[in-house]
Amino acid sequence: MAAARILKIGLCAVLCLGAIACGGGGGGASSASSSSSGGVSSSSGSTSSSSSSGGTSSSSSSGGTSSSSGGTTSNVASVIVDQGPSSQSVNTLFVSVIVCAPGSTTSCQTIDHIQVDSGSYGLRLVAPPLTLTLPVETLANGSSLAECTQFADGFSWGPIVTADLQIAGEQAHSVPVQVIGDSRFTSIPANCSSTGGTSEDTVSTFGANGILGIGPFELDCGDCATNTHGLYYACTGSTCTDTTVPANLQMPNPVTHFAVDNNGTIIVLPSVPAAGALTVSGSLIFGIDTQTNNVSGTQTVLTVDGNANLSISADGTTFASSFIDSGSNGVFFNDSNITNCTAPANDPSSQITEFYCPGTPITLGVIIEGQNMVTTNNLTFTVGNAQTMLNANPSFNAFPQLAGTFPMPGTFDYGLPFFYGKRVAVAVEGAITTAGKGPYVAF
Amino acid sequence: MPIFRSDEFKVFAIAAAVLIAAAAPRVARATLGEPEITVQTDVAKAHASIKSSQDREGYRVHEVTLPSGTVMREFVAPNGKVFAVSWQGPTRPDLRQALGQYFDSYISAPRAKFADRRHVQIQQGDLIIQSSGHMRALTGRAYLVSAVPSGVNVGDLH
Repeated sequence: MAAARILKIGLCAVLCLGAIACGGGGGGASSASSSSSGGVSSSSGSTSSSSSSGGTSSSSSSGGTSSSSGGTTSNVASVIVDQGPSSQSVNTLFVSVIVCAPGSTTSCQTIDHIQVDSGSYGLRLVAPPLTLTLPVETLANGSSLAECTQFADGFSWGPIVTADLQIAGEQAHSVPVQVIGDSRFTSIPANCSSTGGTSEDTVSTFGANGILGIGPFELDCGDCATNTHGLYYACTGSTCTDTTVPANLQMPNPVTHFAVDNNGTIIVLPSVPAAGALTVSGSLIFGIDTQTNNVSGTQTVLTVDGNANLSISADGTTFASSFIDSGSNGVFFNDSNITNCTAPANDPSSQITEFYCPGTPITLGVIIEGQNMVTTNNLTFTVGNAQTMLNANPSFNAFPQLAGTFPMPGTFDYGLPFFYGKRVAVAVEGAITTAGKGPYVAF
Repeated sequence: MPIFRSDEFKVFAIAAAVLIAAAAPRVARATLGEPEITVQTDVAKAHASIKSSQDREGYRVHEVTLPSGTVMREFVAPNGKVFAVSWQGPTRPDLRQALGQYFDSYISAPRAKFADRRHVQIQQGDLIIQSSGHMRALTGRAYLVSAVPSGVNVGDLH
């Protein structure tokens, strides 16, 4: 998040002096806790580096959170909102994943600070910190498979490899995974760079050590088996050409490859004080209605359309192509009734102007409507003053009232602040749960 | 209880309603800032299909469906120049072609190293680029501020 980052750096010189470390436990390191109950920390902890473990790498094949007992699989992974490996993250949720060469229990690497993203599909790892050499998928003609992954602000290029994965106690074998910044694939096809934006192939440009896409579909492309999109490329040497790809080689939501608990996910995060928090820790639960800890209960179930969108109304305006997305680090929508932030005099081109800075926090009524015509009740979102909240606590990494404009009309991007204080289930397409059939979002 | 604020009705003045005398639908070459040229060959080259050409008050819109399924719209001013392009679909179009001479300034535009990958808004001189969406559903547009015909609301350019 551009503006937040700029502010955090620019203001730290002044305001960090006032930020008193209260000592005590703090949020702790990511993945250290196996508890499924979340927590919020506003202190900087007893050690200044307690939440900044940027790198990765342990070659151990046993994860701290994984365990099996009593015949059931541990389906709860710890997740955390912290400053991330770039030290600049805001409202970004991270998890750790163990990656192994296919079939190996020793050639493994634990990678922390992988962003949990309910708005994309597939596990994508940045190299380095990924140091394992994983086998590249090959097409029938012997060429190597690579992908030009398109994000709204740029693209990431790299091969599709296969790996065995473990998250909490869940395991998946020979799963297609993208390696971003792979030294074996440095030549970006012109067709890929022509999609525009910046090449995001390092931890600093990516803002994470990887991304875990667990959205409500199985694959990252709807029809790449029969149609070329400029997404998948067949590479021979350094020559790569646009190609179709059999579905089993395409990038999947890795949860769908788990042996069990594979029909969806539930993100559980605690409420966060209006002013924000240094860290927020919670749980990523795998499966819906597969174990006692992931039963559906009586949530509101909202089905999504073929683009994983639904309708959101806020402040009297309906945004027809909206989405709920743990991978968005704020809440983004256009509302001319809310005052934008103004750029500081010493940085007139600051992107803080894309954020909202109302004089006092504004609480909006929000109605979310699924494809199934089900609507939410009594949902509100409070837009805070982005400048004020960042000024007040420049060391914080979680801001539940951070909101800004969205480039296109008709979209309300309900990002990670939506997840604070909720238990949000995302059921994959085709999933049969007691609450309904995926794809849906429920909370 | 939700607090609803009254919806402020937005009025956009159409200052000069310029009606383009439309002949048969034509297909614009999708390059920002360049003249609309009747180039069926470009469309053929891209294996694209023309969905429609439509005259609106103050400008003309060509809609092209690319083989990827992405719908691209080109907005042509009365002076015959493409002043905006937009896209919506599973993947972005070839922006090097769509933005033409402006592509390089888009790429070189300064921006923060860490964006949230959900959207970007860039103003570089006369060029505004807005790119957004999420995987499998990307949207965006680019336009030249000075070339937007008088009276046209940029909010309608999508």
